[in-house]
Amino acid sequence: MKVELFYSPGCSACLERQAELRAAAQAAIGNVEWREVNVLDSVDQAVGLGVVTLPSIVIDGELVFTSIPTPKQLRKALIKRNRGRA
Amino acid sequence: MFTIGKLAALATVSNDTLRYYEQEGLISPTAKSAAGYRLYDQDSVRRIRFIKHAQGCGFTLAEIRELLELRGRDKACCGDVRTRAIEKKLQIENKIRAMKAMSKALDQLIADCANEKQPVKECTIIAALERTSLSGDTVIHEGRTVL
Repeated sequence: MKVELFYSPGCSACLERQAELRAAAQAAIGNVEWREVNVLDSVDQAVGLGVVTLPSIVIDGELVFTSIPTPKQLRKALIKRNRGRA
Repeated sequence: MFTIGKLAALATVSNDTLRYYEQEGLISPTAKSAAGYRLYDQDSVRRIRFIKHAQGCGFTLAEIRELLELRGRDKACCGDVRTRAIEKKLQIENKIRAMKAMSKALDQLIADCANEKQPVKECTIIAALERTSLSGDTVIHEGRTVL
């Protein structure tokens, strides 16, 4: 499963939570591919995915969180999707 | 100190606009004259210029209020303002994309209508608009959380 966190450089909320969310994702499901995307380097990709607020989280190409989730919320979303895949 | 009329002239906006800004909590008088007229200081002129400039960059009045609050907050940093500017850019890029898709859909309709002398009852544009959906996705994604 691919998880992309779109962030704005200099966003203090993003920096504080990134490591925590990455750890939560990796703990929730084993096969997670985690990417942190500086939105300024990928404006076209972000717009194509419907990202208009930062930070946003895209899971397998689908915009799932438009604000920073708690590790628990992320974990829940990943587990639910992983179950749907099985 | 300036009266509302003087302030309007300095900031090149109308008195009505200033009253609206005041109603929206974007500016407020700093004092009242002996005759009871509202008076504004130099900072109000700066705020109005800020508001006008931000509107020119696409910010709504609600967003401008947040920017003004950030401007006055000790703990806020430039990164917070920059994030809002980046979000605004993403919204604008999103709208441009949606408008281009609309333009493309119109191109198709225009191209399909080859005979402009046909009676309106046989107009292909009207027929296409009456159909439930058009080819081409013009959905504008609004920021939302899907769980």
